[in-house]
Amino acid sequence: MSTITERTPATTVTGTPGPRARKSRFRGYNWFGGSLSWLWLFVVMLPIYWIVITSFKTQDTYFITNPLAPPTDLTFENYKAVIEADFVRYFFNSVVITVGAVVPAVAVSFMAGYAIVRGAGNRTLKAMNWVFLTGLAIPLQAVIIPVYLIIIRLKLYDTLLAIILPSIAFAIPLSVIVLSNFIRDVPKELFESMRMDGASEWGTMWRLALPLTRPALVTVTIYSALNIWNGFLLPLVLTQSPDQRAIPLALANFQGQFGINVPAIAASVTLTTVPIVILYAIGRRQLLSGLTAGFGK
Amino acid sequence: MTTIAPPVVRTKGSSSSSGGRSGSGSVTWMALPAFVWFVLFGIIPLFGVLFLSFTTWNGIGDIEVTGLTSWKAALQDPGLPHALWVTFVIMALSWLVQTPMSILLGTFLATSKRYRELLAVLFFIPLLLSSAAIAITFKALLDPNFGLGAGLGIDALNQDWLGNSTLAVATLIFIVSWQFIPFHTLIYQGAVRQIPTSMYEASQIDGAGRMRQFFSITLPQLKYTLITSSTLMVVGSLLFFDLIYLLTGGGPGDSTRTLALEMYQTGFQANLMGPASAIAVILVFVGLVLSLLFRRLGGRADESQLEGV
Amino acid sequence: MINRRNFLGLAAGAAGAAALAACGSDGPQDKSGGSSSGGGGGAASYWSLSGEPGEPIRTAAIERFNKANPDTKITPTFFQNDAYKQKIKTALGANQGPTMIWGWGGGGLKEYVSSNQVEDLTDWLGQNAAVKDKILPSSFGAATVNGKIYALPVETVQPIVLFYNKKVFERVGVQPPKTWGEIMALVPKFNEKKIAPFSLGGQSRWTNMMWLEFLLDRTAGSEVFDRVFAGEKGAWSDPAVLDMLTKIQDLVKANGFQKGFSSTTADSNADQALLYTGKAAMMLHGSWSYGIQKADGGNFVKDGGLGWMNFPTVEGGKGDPSNTVGNPGQYLSISSKATPEAKEIAKKFFSTTLVDDDEKAGWVKSGGVPVLKNSDSLFTGDDAAFLKDMSAIAGGAKVFAQSWDQALSPTAAETLLDNIAKLFQLQVTPQQWVDAMNGVIGK
Repeated sequence: MSTITERTPATTVTGTPGPRARKSRFRGYNWFGGSLSWLWLFVVMLPIYWIVITSFKTQDTYFITNPLAPPTDLTFENYKAVIEADFVRYFFNSVVITVGAVVPAVAVSFMAGYAIVRGAGNRTLKAMNWVFLTGLAIPLQAVIIPVYLIIIRLKLYDTLLAIILPSIAFAIPLSVIVLSNFIRDVPKELFESMRMDGASEWGTMWRLALPLTRPALVTVTIYSALNIWNGFLLPLVLTQSPDQRAIPLALANFQGQFGINVPAIAASVTLTTVPIVILYAIGRRQLLSGLTAGFGK
Repeated sequence: MTTIAPPVVRTKGSSSSSGGRSGSGSVTWMALPAFVWFVLFGIIPLFGVLFLSFTTWNGIGDIEVTGLTSWKAALQDPGLPHALWVTFVIMALSWLVQTPMSILLGTFLATSKRYRELLAVLFFIPLLLSSAAIAITFKALLDPNFGLGAGLGIDALNQDWLGNSTLAVATLIFIVSWQFIPFHTLIYQGAVRQIPTSMYEASQIDGAGRMRQFFSITLPQLKYTLITSSTLMVVGSLLFFDLIYLLTGGGPGDSTRTLALEMYQTGFQANLMGPASAIAVILVFVGLVLSLLFRRLGGRADESQLEGV
Repeated sequence: MINRRNFLGLAAGAAGAAALAACGSDGPQDKSGGSSSGGGGGAASYWSLSGEPGEPIRTAAIERFNKANPDTKITPTFFQNDAYKQKIKTALGANQGPTMIWGWGGGGLKEYVSSNQVEDLTDWLGQNAAVKDKILPSSFGAATVNGKIYALPVETVQPIVLFYNKKVFERVGVQPPKTWGEIMALVPKFNEKKIAPFSLGGQSRWTNMMWLEFLLDRTAGSEVFDRVFAGEKGAWSDPAVLDMLTKIQDLVKANGFQKGFSSTTADSNADQALLYTGKAAMMLHGSWSYGIQKADGGNFVKDGGLGWMNFPTVEGGKGDPSNTVGNPGQYLSISSKATPEAKEIAKKFFSTTLVDDDEKAGWVKSGGVPVLKNSDSLFTGDDAAFLKDMSAIAGGAKVFAQSWDQALSPTAAETLLDNIAKLFQLQVTPQQWVDAMNGVIGK
């Protein structure tokens, strides 16, 4: 199959002449897709809109006012409360945990994925692949107690590392499987010709497989990062002191003993989401071009 | 980065023949970091759970090895088949909703137009919210007295969304879709962009309409994307926990109590760690079967060859 | 295939052994006295719930103690309610718990006791009778397991009462109910005016349970549940239980609760909002609801819109109308795994700060009735009427029963809450309910 010849131009071209060429793909406007998108936009934005306006309401007007009406007198109290509750620190902790877990997880998964494809037929690797497949379905809640005991043994309890280490492990199975599926699509001849030129497996991996797998790497990175960023159970069980708190835990703390302070939660959600949305808006082109280079073939 | 230098390859090109078995020894070490890591924090704990499933433990006292007692308790509980059923219903229905939506939206967004790029940014936002935030938001919006219905003045929206068994399942599927369609849309968007324009041009010359193009070119070209995305959806839906726990707590009654919830409630709320561990083992097994199934669906020639080895 | 199996078998052996070793009882016990103690003599740890109104008062107590005892230090950590339950369980299971364990007494405490996690305080309280005398006697019930006291009652007593919206009653032109018959007669009157007779946060399950607790008590007295609590076989089969369950389903069928009550949550306080916004006429809830309605309901409480009373009687019922249900206190236990020094600090904290006047004043100010005696003189200002009534209900109750879900073991409580939700959904008949509950008696 000629996958590679099509893939390469797409990677290099993205952004400039590509769109124009693609525009001619269809005649006229896609009414069905169009109306569906606008409808979906409404469905997506309504709850988001609710979160934003609620974050500017006070707890005592929350139930009295129309839930979808913007607040009559804007209050920044919730934001103030959230920031005073040391949110900056929790945000920073979450960043450290997410970056610290995703980068090594994707790196080792990529290597494992490469090995599984290149070493196909090797019994050890097959067994390892089986283990990863099993791992896909291990629910974190189920193994949390043994994980906790291991972390205590390693004397890592109540450190950010305590969250990072298991997070890496739980990001690995899915990443390996998605990445190996992807690398398997790289035509064998390409590997052979690299090796013929005297490149080692190590070199082949970085110079040939890595660029070709970029879209899958992007997907896996986003997926793992979001899971870890929003993870609640590991930070809850494996840390204790407020210094080590991650955002989801801090969010839960806005639930008092007898009730939730909904506007404060809305404010903290807004505050933690805005930076990522901005990051995404900026990095989107890059990300999409990664995906455009061909996902899932 | 790495300390181990890659071993020198024995013979050039020798690995090309059947399955590359001869050259494979040189790459095995590359899988080791991931493997060791995962064994340490994934597999060893899993065996811990397997061990616990043969014990009686309330989570705080002494652990007593009691053979098959916990397994019997777990398997005899009518809650288990019910939870399995609920899990499959939610899995199947959420796949049925998410897949067509993601494909259609992904196809639409694949065309580069400024406003569509803006749409894509906005579509992405639900993905950034934690399950906790989503649960709190929807609980508030679906409140029959203070929610959407009151806000928009539409009485039909004042349903018992989370309190009626059927509605609760439907609502849950909707919210799950709301949360995950963005991610799958993104995947499909990337995949559609990769379909060579020449294929469409050729069919246009043949006079194919949009519908025919979609079914004869776009969909077949998305086959492998579909498998990846479906694996993520299906296996992922096995592990849904935070959202359901916070949204319905498995209720009303046990209408939305999936396996993961059943396990959590047995273990951490009813303090029956033994049966809960047995349920966890079952959950892992179901997930394993499903992911294998999807691999088969992928039906790759090289894979089937290797099965014979 | 065989190869893979061998591999897995081998891995199972090795990993299983490792896991076993990790699960074993040789946990680092010496650490449990507070992770940062480092042997410096005076450190103890304290875990409790975060959030208003409790957290600031708890923090204040610890600061007071640390100030008065500069050579020792108590370190508090606060967790959100659900998170705390998971956290404390995992930590105790691994011998990593705090010196002082905050709890709800009853079935949960019983489980700690049977796992040897908490200290027996009976002798200590015997020697320090002055401490014991400062606390309401009715609060000790839920701290007692097999005749021995394992926890100190702290903080507040929280009876469950029937709240009602006076303005709604005026508008409809009816009087608050005194009997079950009057309740059922009021239901259609409110429904006619498009007002929900009762507000119920049915999604939270324990809210539904309060109805059963009161109805059973009023119909049959406290003995029936006592028999359940004692683990007597078939104790739920009492005819009074069937009668009570039928009454509840009758109320549900008569639209006694707001439309969609199973979607309404108590944790967002939406049930209470129904009452103060006049969308519902009455609500059965814990006394803490007063503070929430005061804070969130605008001028509702200040303008005298909120009424309250003990649960009405049931015609021909055997229960004492003074009986009440709720939380007879919160409870602090001392971990049996803590170091002797940490235990001493905890005891000192118990006998000084936790029973002092500042503590009492703090809880009164938050709108609660302290577990400490002689608080009535502190009830002044806007909340005086409410606090006096709560104190009278708590103090005058012949039986102050603990909420069922906290009195029973966690295993039985889970089944209970589950079946109660189904009962309100009309998914099970009273008889099915009784059968299901009989199945977990004594578990």
